Amino acid sequence: MEFDVAYLNAQWPALMRGLWLTVQVSALSIVLSILVGVLGAAARVLQVPVLGKLVVGYVEFIRNTPLLAQLFFIFYGLPGLGLRLSLFWSGVLCLTVWAGAYQIENVRGGLETVGKGLREAAFSLGLSPWRFFRLVAAPMAIRVGLPSMLNTSISLLKNSSYLQAIGLAELTYVAIDRISMDFRTIEMFAAICVIYLLLVLTLSFFASRLEYRLNAPFRL
Amino acid sequence: MTTHVSHLSALSAAAAAVFALSVGAQAQGLPPLPEAIKSAGVLKAGVRCDQPPYGYKDETGKFAGVETDMAIQIAAWAFGSPDKIELTCVTAENRIPQLAGKKVDILIATLGVTPERARVVDFSKPYRWGGSDMLVAKDSPIKKLDDVAGKTVIMLKGSTQAKWFEDNMPKLESMRLNTASDALQALKQGRGDAYTHDAATLVVIAAKDPSLRLVGESFAVSDAAVGVRKNEPEWLAYVDAALDRMKAEGLYAKWVEKWIPAEIRPFYVDAFTKPKPTAR
Repeated sequence: MEFDVAYLNAQWPALMRGLWLTVQVSALSIVLSILVGVLGAAARVLQVPVLGKLVVGYVEFIRNTPLLAQLFFIFYGLPGLGLRLSLFWSGVLCLTVWAGAYQIENVRGGLETVGKGLREAAFSLGLSPWRFFRLVAAPMAIRVGLPSMLNTSISLLKNSSYLQAIGLAELTYVAIDRISMDFRTIEMFAAICVIYLLLVLTLSFFASRLEYRLNAPFRL
Repeated sequence: MTTHVSHLSALSAAAAAVFALSVGAQAQGLPPLPEAIKSAGVLKAGVRCDQPPYGYKDETGKFAGVETDMAIQIAAWAFGSPDKIELTCVTAENRIPQLAGKKVDILIATLGVTPERARVVDFSKPYRWGGSDMLVAKDSPIKKLDDVAGKTVIMLKGSTQAKWFEDNMPKLESMRLNTASDALQALKQGRGDAYTHDAATLVVIAAKDPSLRLVGESFAVSDAAVGVRKNEPEWLAYVDAALDRMKAEGLYAKWVEKWIPAEIRPFYVDAFTKPKPTAR
């Protein structure tokens, strides 16, 4: 079977619809997971009672269970507990909860680099723990944690392909669905790999720009 | 002259005897097994694991069903023992790639004959036909096929039904999942209004689950056949001969009786023995 470019052309609109859904679900989940990461890390580092411990449990639970199991739990399990989300929001919730756990560790890693002296100085100036976190610790931590946060975001983007299993019509779903009808395996997988690659490169590009901006004060 | 005639008649008698022998051998035995299959020492067969009563896993996790028995029977004929088989679970979406990628050498996996598939695999003679139907909630307003227009229908990726709806009701909202159990779960949670699949599969589910019912309008009726890779004519001939022998020895009837409870059995007996009905 040779590579059929005409076939790929015919499937292009369907692939683009899939790509658009991948972008939407991933972008939303990346933003939300970073939010989870910052708040979760704050709860841990500021040793918020109860919440801090819950965050530890959450991170361990998510990091030590398979993403696909989490996805099926959210999509098929939660309705039994009274929470029925649409396909799209099931996907967003799954990716956010998964990546959020890693982002907490990324931000926390950054926070470890904020010296004890700074903290004492902030408190002696009368800053509340939350204001210290918001104005001093978080900006420094995020700058340090950015490369690993980008890593997690890239993983999230790629893991959005798992959502084909619940029938969300994202990029991988489109490919698998068409392959199961037309058997153009090579064309379709080659196409989506290139598209994912371009997507990740774009994400990396913007992240490195951001890193560059945030590092401005430290450049000689 | 007379000797010549007698020679001829002796020759033709001998030829007739050889011919009779070969016919007898064909009815009993099978063509020679292709070298590629023989050298593997076992039959690598792809069967379904979620399609009772054709191919599924029983309570103990063992392969079960009519098509599974067909595969085991071919192994028994080919290698002299029903144990010389390596069964692999295949799904609607991965079965043809599994065959093409030589993970399996034969598919007996509820494979319907379609022109798209015929482009990439070779089909044996059909051994039964299968129609499609829809499963809906007991109190659903859907009474016939056309009632699903504008509704969400759950189906499996790569299924005959997915293709049929794409060709015949392109505006339909479809939700395409990977396994029959996923699809059933989604239907029961109300994520779609109907779940369409092979009628044979749905009959079993409907008989077990009083909260669901069959719509009962048959559509997309197609032949089911065994799939083998393209350009393996000896192997295809062997499979065809094996299917003929199964029919001649009445094995289908035996298997239908073995795997299918009496109350839903007539449906399956028809599929293996009666001609294909006409439908949309």
